[in-house]
Amino acid sequence: MTWKDITLSPLLPLWLILALLGLGVLALILQYPRLRTRVGRSRCLWLSALRLGALLLLIGCFLDPASTERVEKKSSPTLALFVDTSSTMALPGRGGKSRLEEGIALLLGGEKPLLKSLSERFEVQVYALGESTRPVEAGEVSKLKPAGSRGDPAAAVEKLSSRNVLPVLLSDGRVKWEGKGSLRLPFFTVPVGDPGDYRDIWIETLKAPAVAFRGREVRVEAVVKSHGFQALTLPVSLRDGQKLLTAQSIRIQGDSAEIPLSLSFTLEDVGPHHLSLSVPPQAGEGSALNNSFPFSLRVARDKVRILMISGHPSLNYRYLRMAFKSDPSIDLLSFVILRTPTDVLNVPLQEQSLIPFPVETLFSKELPQFDLLVLDDFSFHLYVKPAYLEKVREFVKAGGGLAMIGGPNLLDGGKYSGTPMEDVLPVSTAGKGEYQREIAAKVKLTRSGGSHPITRLEATEKENLDLWKEMPALDGINRVQMKTSATALLEGGDGIPSPIISVGKYGQGRVLVLATDYSWKWYMGMVGRGRGQWAYHRFVERTVRWLTKDPGLDPIQVLLPEDRFRRGQKKEVRVRVQSQEESPETQGAVHFSVLDPMGVKIGAEFKISGRPGEYLASFAPEKEGTYKLKVETAGGSVEESVEISEPIEERDGLPDHERLRMIAESTGGKFISSKEDLLPELLSAVGKRESRYLEERRTPLWAHFSLPALILALLSAEWYFRRRWGLI
Amino acid sequence: MISRREFLRSALALGGGVLFVPKHLYGENSFPHFFFTQIRYRGGAWDPNPQFVEAMVEELELRTSIDGARERRALELSDPDLFYSPFLFMAGKYEFEPLTPQEREILRRYLTFGGFLFAEDTLGVKGYGFDRAFRAEIKRVFPGQELKRLPLDHPVYQSFYLINQIGGRQPISPYFEGVILDQWTPVIYSQNDLSGAWSRDKLGKWVYECTPGGEAQRSLAFKAGINVIVYSLTSDYKKDLVHHPFIKKRLNP
Repeated sequence: MTWKDITLSPLLPLWLILALLGLGVLALILQYPRLRTRVGRSRCLWLSALRLGALLLLIGCFLDPASTERVEKKSSPTLALFVDTSSTMALPGRGGKSRLEEGIALLLGGEKPLLKSLSERFEVQVYALGESTRPVEAGEVSKLKPAGSRGDPAAAVEKLSSRNVLPVLLSDGRVKWEGKGSLRLPFFTVPVGDPGDYRDIWIETLKAPAVAFRGREVRVEAVVKSHGFQALTLPVSLRDGQKLLTAQSIRIQGDSAEIPLSLSFTLEDVGPHHLSLSVPPQAGEGSALNNSFPFSLRVARDKVRILMISGHPSLNYRYLRMAFKSDPSIDLLSFVILRTPTDVLNVPLQEQSLIPFPVETLFSKELPQFDLLVLDDFSFHLYVKPAYLEKVREFVKAGGGLAMIGGPNLLDGGKYSGTPMEDVLPVSTAGKGEYQREIAAKVKLTRSGGSHPITRLEATEKENLDLWKEMPALDGINRVQMKTSATALLEGGDGIPSPIISVGKYGQGRVLVLATDYSWKWYMGMVGRGRGQWAYHRFVERTVRWLTKDPGLDPIQVLLPEDRFRRGQKKEVRVRVQSQEESPETQGAVHFSVLDPMGVKIGAEFKISGRPGEYLASFAPEKEGTYKLKVETAGGSVEESVEISEPIEERDGLPDHERLRMIAESTGGKFISSKEDLLPELLSAVGKRESRYLEERRTPLWAHFSLPALILALLSAEWYFRRRWGLI
Repeated sequence: MISRREFLRSALALGGGVLFVPKHLYGENSFPHFFFTQIRYRGGAWDPNPQFVEAMVEELELRTSIDGARERRALELSDPDLFYSPFLFMAGKYEFEPLTPQEREILRRYLTFGGFLFAEDTLGVKGYGFDRAFRAEIKRVFPGQELKRLPLDHPVYQSFYLINQIGGRQPISPYFEGVILDQWTPVIYSQNDLSGAWSRDKLGKWVYECTPGGEAQRSLAFKAGINVIVYSLTSDYKKDLVHHPFIKKRLNP
């Protein structure tokens, strides 16, 4: 050890150490004359020397002197072995194994496993490279399973804590690679799978709108790809569940084919549809899963189709017609019975505008095309066979809406007793719906009517109540008797507790009975008072929307994003919940849950969006299939389903060894296709990447026992001499 | 200063009001599905054909499914019951006093929001008397609008009968005139005195001769009247696509 090897690391600021030294020396100087008066000069100098020695040694401790030893060392890079575990690694590789099994066999197989050989020469860390990268112990390598979408080797290397690594990628080439990354480490790529032997037909892409309109043509564009098949004609079929919507034949000509196709179809049922485009799997295909492409499509109404049949011309018909016609979302087909069979026909047919009432076409064919049937004081028995009322029942049962509007022909006045309508209507036909004129019936909301979408016309409960109190009296009502399953929304006031508006459900459909033919007075009466026609129009609009199950009226709504759900991608869903005052169904806390295709509840986030009554829910589906989203409150619940499909980039399972070659070449690494070449190539690469560095080893001097011993010895000697010389 | 006539009218109204409070003050007035409401205006002669209702409603019930009331309610434009009138009728021979701004506003509101007015100049002289006064009022009620001839494809000619002339007591014009607002014609006007042709006394005798066409002309007047009433209750129903092929075929056999 030389003086050059001594280094100082002051424990206190240097100025403080010097100040302490100065104070100590000053104390020695000051005490010297006093000591000199008691002992001789030589003794006085001796004691001061001992004290100064101890002081210097103590002060020296604060400087933390240490001897530093420098040693030159070599460093080898760590081998970061990335094993691709994405889902395509489950596809066939060489030797009857899957690609992942082929890779594992390459690492662990044989008399002298490659992984063991590598571990003997290098520090090896194995990583499973999938959607995320995770380190795995050597013993876990044999248990790796393929799953998930493509991994990103560049991003995986970026996350490594050490920069002195040599990355090796064992993959079929179906990885993300954009050539970006700050490290630019040379990748050694080792391929698995055999592109020459791989055979597959798959639907590569599919473009379809998220929303379509009922009855309007929908066009779906797709690209079918194939590899390893030749001279093959196959059907491509588009199905809605099990129902075939359309099909098209494709001809596969070359070894690698790409066939674009376009399919058109129409859907008539409003709501979500889970469709799939598929090609039949062929013998020897690498994967049959990518032969179909599931997707969801929501069919919405472009217009609400209403069929209205009025028993006679009336203001009720005209104002309803005005309300329907003023709404651009309504498509109205109406028939008014202008003359009854007993009316006199005093002119030839050519001189009248009456057209035959197309009963047969309407009831046996066209009825299912409508969303809502309105029978306005219509005495069916004069024009319609009882059998057609069975069609009306089927229509409502299947989800159609029915509104029966009162007047002398409402129930048994129209001979509806004993017909299928008895089951459908929310009121009993037994009471015959006796019609009463000239009663000036004011109306009042029932408890249910206060919050029901049909009669909730104003924002607050009180305003709504006042509005209905203000409505003009009705000059004619039907005395109807409600079924227990029905709900009354409006009833006569002033001692006429007869339901005016009753609603109910039958099968999938909704039914309303408006037991008056004077609702038009709510229009002109309010206009006469300068209040405008808005209340009547809103009443009609909301009646139509409720009867046709407009989702916008639902107290709880789940609004799905327009773009498609993909497996592994987090998606946000908006949930709207009406205020408790508007709907009793939304009372209590709002809960959101997601069930996967196996019916298992999965994790989901649910938070307030910031808008009144709106929440944001998000979840990340991990599987393909139909997920159920459920929103629950104390008063009700709603369920929505979404179809989760495989991300498009994983549908192509052809091994992409060219990509591995490109990764190696672009990073300065090497594409190594032979197992035998791998070890020598890595040894050579490691040799080039070995680095030398100086390692410093520091030994504190005062940490040695001799220094405190010396200080103690000096202080002891000083004490001994003072005692001997009689100073203490 | 109040005139003697106005004083007597007020006194009678007050007296009658005490004894017979109008029903509508209680909000109890009842309104049949169809009835005539005739406007009682100031000046001129508001009721030239007091006996037109019975025969017209009888024909209406006989030939159509409309259940009409054989009554006529006469009211002033300021009466709140106006808004419950399915069919407002206004007729006269002579020039009448201009409507007040308030009356015009009420009539404008009634007609703009879906009400219907059938007006007749029973004198049948263009630019004179009732005709002049009524046309001037229409211009005031609908600024920028005036009575225009309704073309033969207008639904009023096809609402029940397919007609191409309107008949009446006097054939002044073979067509109706009207004010069109979007798809709705709230005012229809004639100078042929249709209500004169409909008028029948209590003994069942026609009040007026129809000249020069006689009973055929009267028959046309009833057809035109039924068409106007059906139009007032069905609007442009006959313009719906479902009627097109039938009407086209019958008009062009």
